[in-house]
Amino acid sequence: MRIRTLIICFIVLVVTVLIGYKLGDTYLTGRTPVQPIEFSHVIHAGDNGIPCQYCHIYAERSRHSGVPNVRKCMGCHNVIKTDSPEIKKLKKYWDDKEPIPWVKVHNLPDHVVYPHKRHIKAGLQCTECHGDVASMPRVSRVSSLKMGWCLSCHMEKKVENGRDCWTCHI
Amino acid sequence: MKRRDFLKYIGAGVVGTGAGLAAAKIASPPGAKLIPYLIPPKDMIPGVATWYASVCRQCGAGCGILVKVLEGRAKKVEGNPLHPVNKGGLCARGQSGLQALYNPDRIVGPMKRSGDRGSGRYTPISWDEALKTVAGKLKGLSDDGNADKLWLVSSSERGHLGKLAEEFMSAYGSKNHIEYDLFQNKNLKYAGGVTVGTEDVPFYDIENTKYLLSFGADFASTWLSPVGLSHGYGQMRQGGGKKSKRGVLVQVEPRMSLTGANADKWVPARPGSEAILALAIAREILAKGYYRGSNAGAWKTLLAPYKLASASKATDVAAETISKIAYDLAKTTPSLVIGGDALSSYKDGISGQVAVNILNHLAGNIGRKGGVLINPERLLKAGKRAILKNQKMTRFIDASLAGNAKALIIDNTNPVFTIPKSSKIMQAIREVSFVVSFATFIDESSAMSDIILPTNTFYEDWGDDFTEPGVGMGVATIMQPAVAPVFKTKSRGDIYIALAKAQGGKLADKFDHGTFNKYLKKSWKKLYNSNKAMANSALTFTDFWNRLLENGGWWPKSTPRTRTRNVSVASVKNYLPKAAAKFEGDKSSYPLNLLVYPSTGMYDGRGANSPWLQEFPDTMTAVVWGSWVEINPKTAEKLKIKEGDTVSVSTPSGSIELPAHIYAAIRPDTIAIPIGQGHTQYGRIAKDRGANPLEILPFIEDKKSGELALNSTRASLSRKGRAKKGSDDSLVRAAANNFEYGRDYTKIISPAEFAKIGKEDV
Ligand code: SF4
Repeated sequence: MRIRTLIICFIVLVVTVLIGYKLGDTYLTGRTPVQPIEFSHVIHAGDNGIPCQYCHIYAERSRHSGVPNVRKCMGCHNVIKTDSPEIKKLKKYWDDKEPIPWVKVHNLPDHVVYPHKRHIKAGLQCTECHGDVASMPRVSRVSSLKMGWCLSCHMEKKVENGRDCWTCHI
Repeated sequence: MKRRDFLKYIGAGVVGTGAGLAAAKIASPPGAKLIPYLIPPKDMIPGVATWYASVCRQCGAGCGILVKVLEGRAKKVEGNPLHPVNKGGLCARGQSGLQALYNPDRIVGPMKRSGDRGSGRYTPISWDEALKTVAGKLKGLSDDGNADKLWLVSSSERGHLGKLAEEFMSAYGSKNHIEYDLFQNKNLKYAGGVTVGTEDVPFYDIENTKYLLSFGADFASTWLSPVGLSHGYGQMRQGGGKKSKRGVLVQVEPRMSLTGANADKWVPARPGSEAILALAIAREILAKGYYRGSNAGAWKTLLAPYKLASASKATDVAAETISKIAYDLAKTTPSLVIGGDALSSYKDGISGQVAVNILNHLAGNIGRKGGVLINPERLLKAGKRAILKNQKMTRFIDASLAGNAKALIIDNTNPVFTIPKSSKIMQAIREVSFVVSFATFIDESSAMSDIILPTNTFYEDWGDDFTEPGVGMGVATIMQPAVAPVFKTKSRGDIYIALAKAQGGKLADKFDHGTFNKYLKKSWKKLYNSNKAMANSALTFTDFWNRLLENGGWWPKSTPRTRTRNVSVASVKNYLPKAAAKFEGDKSSYPLNLLVYPSTGMYDGRGANSPWLQEFPDTMTAVVWGSWVEINPKTAEKLKIKEGDTVSVSTPSGSIELPAHIYAAIRPDTIAIPIGQGHTQYGRIAKDRGANPLEILPFIEDKKSGELALNSTRASLSRKGRAKKGSDDSLVRAAANNFEYGRDYTKIISPAEFAKIGKEDV
């Protein structure tokens, strides 16, 4: 009898974990994945005031904003804070010639195209979608990235063809 | 259920959901990784495409292309709008080139044979070992004084790669270099030599013509330069871009091709009689006094035998039709006559092409805008390998069967697939003790080799092409790598250089080019220095070279110069056919004429490994993923064959089985099969799909030109089985049937009515 209860408990647990995961992933903002290195935007963008596009160099020129390449990180961290355990992790990736497997915080499905370039050219601030990253020790998703969220902004800002399917689904 | 248990379950549920929510917050869903570059490549922005200008090598037309490259991957190909041949257009085969580049069956590294020849079983080896083995064999051969027993069979290359290969062979000490592809327009070239004194294919100015008479030239699908000629055709139909009369197209062919389907009139002449028809038209032009040139008397005497009545009987074309064509052709200026693969492929195919040029001469079309424009000599002169008699495959087959071929290089061509079995090509290759292939895929030919040296595709390679036909002026197109080699493959040019170097001695000294790229650039510098127009076009060679890469090639800005050439009676009198072409097989046991034609997607078979091209419905029959035999409904009824039935097609040289397609646009005494399917190798997509009609053809290579007479046999049909739905070899069509059940989708309007409609009504 006890075994049966245990098994049912276990099944309920597994099913609800999956449900919870799906619910959280779909409806909750604030997804804050653990990253392979505890990179802190607070130190970089906040305390040291490094502009976003110093590292995300393609934002103005491409649909991708670009993740900084490992050489770029090492450009500073060859000398700066070399004994910190997190920088040691970075050094190990560099020495192993392995790129850092960052986890995506903002993950759009393949059927949507979000061009950073257009939004920056239109004068949007990074923070309008990404939130105040400079105060996030670990980056969270603050916007839902759902279609309604995109459209409401497009409509509010009266974007030309902003409600056209083909504007994003190309 | 006990209350306590229930609470436990609730508890588990709450804990589970909570854990799930928490996990969602911090987890990394699979596939959601953001991988940065370790060190970013130079000049590259992720998400922004770089376009490289290059040349398409999916057929011999040499269209200019632009390859879109994102993050180092080729994603899309478009036509180069600056290129004078295709003017931005690209055909289906050109589009699908990407599937050659990223094909899952590409050879990824050098290999040596581990099974029987032809089995396609190989084991990987290193480049070092591969080159050493090949160079060692070649050196051994020449050390024994047998250098002249090396044979090279390569695809036809009009650029510097062909020159390099020729230099390699002559430096090695062998004259045995054959450039072989199935469609090389050899009869057309030969007839050009006979009639207008140049074997260079002329430019057919379809765009500006008002009356186009085509003898089986399917320029809308595959003939000569399909994209360029189709563009011209589109212009012609709209009055040559200007507000003038729309041109008329008359297509003579026993089986309606896509071009025939577009024609104003389709004339299904009896197969093999087209040359007679052409000459009867010519005689009619003279008899009615339409000819305006000199020597009318001599022409009349020459063409006297091609009388209207007898020609009408021989060709199965009404006498009035012949007279009408003669009238229209001579009285419309400019007019143009062209002769395609169907005409060239009969026995004695030269005569058909000569007859076409006689017609062009009598109608005054040679050297006239809207007619036949003789191209200037190409910038890079064709070498000895391009002389027609050197290109005959019988040279190799005979030599090998006589024991005079000790080593063979097969470079990027597939003779085993494209030459009829009856040629003994297989035995000939088996006789050779050492065979090496430079290949991208294991196809029927490379499967016969002992070592395979894998080559780059044209998206990964350097090279150039001197287009034939030009567009009334010389066109040179550059090939540059759009992407880095995906696998451990090498440039074909680099392989020749490496093989020469590895043999040491004089050969190595002559081949101190370093890389093929350097050789190419050096050669272009020579061209640049010797060509005034080039030297004037840019300041320095570096500028010139950069512009070359930017534009995709070099071509003068001027419009084509017209040069008239007269065709003389003396030059053609030995090339006139006495009667319609003969066919193998006697009429009683083989009652039908068999025509084979290059399929729009597969071309000579090279397209068969591309899923896109397999999926692409045939332009006339809508068949996908297979092959078929086209049978007239009357013939089918007589033989009790229904759509999709498996039938056996037999000729004196063999038989194949394939599904029947009932096709109304073919003569009842003729059946037709597309070329391209029926591979026994060539990767998972092509292999064991459909049947190869070339297998059952007689091997008849024209003694003078070397063109294979593909349409030279009769065949018989018999039903093998009823149509099987869903089986692997059933007929799959993208169109359910050919009828619209009165729904009136297709509007039919005559050209005369069309001309009356105002622009605003269209
Ligand atoms: S005709 Fe088509 S296959 Fe041939 S070169 Fe042009 S685009 Fe390529």
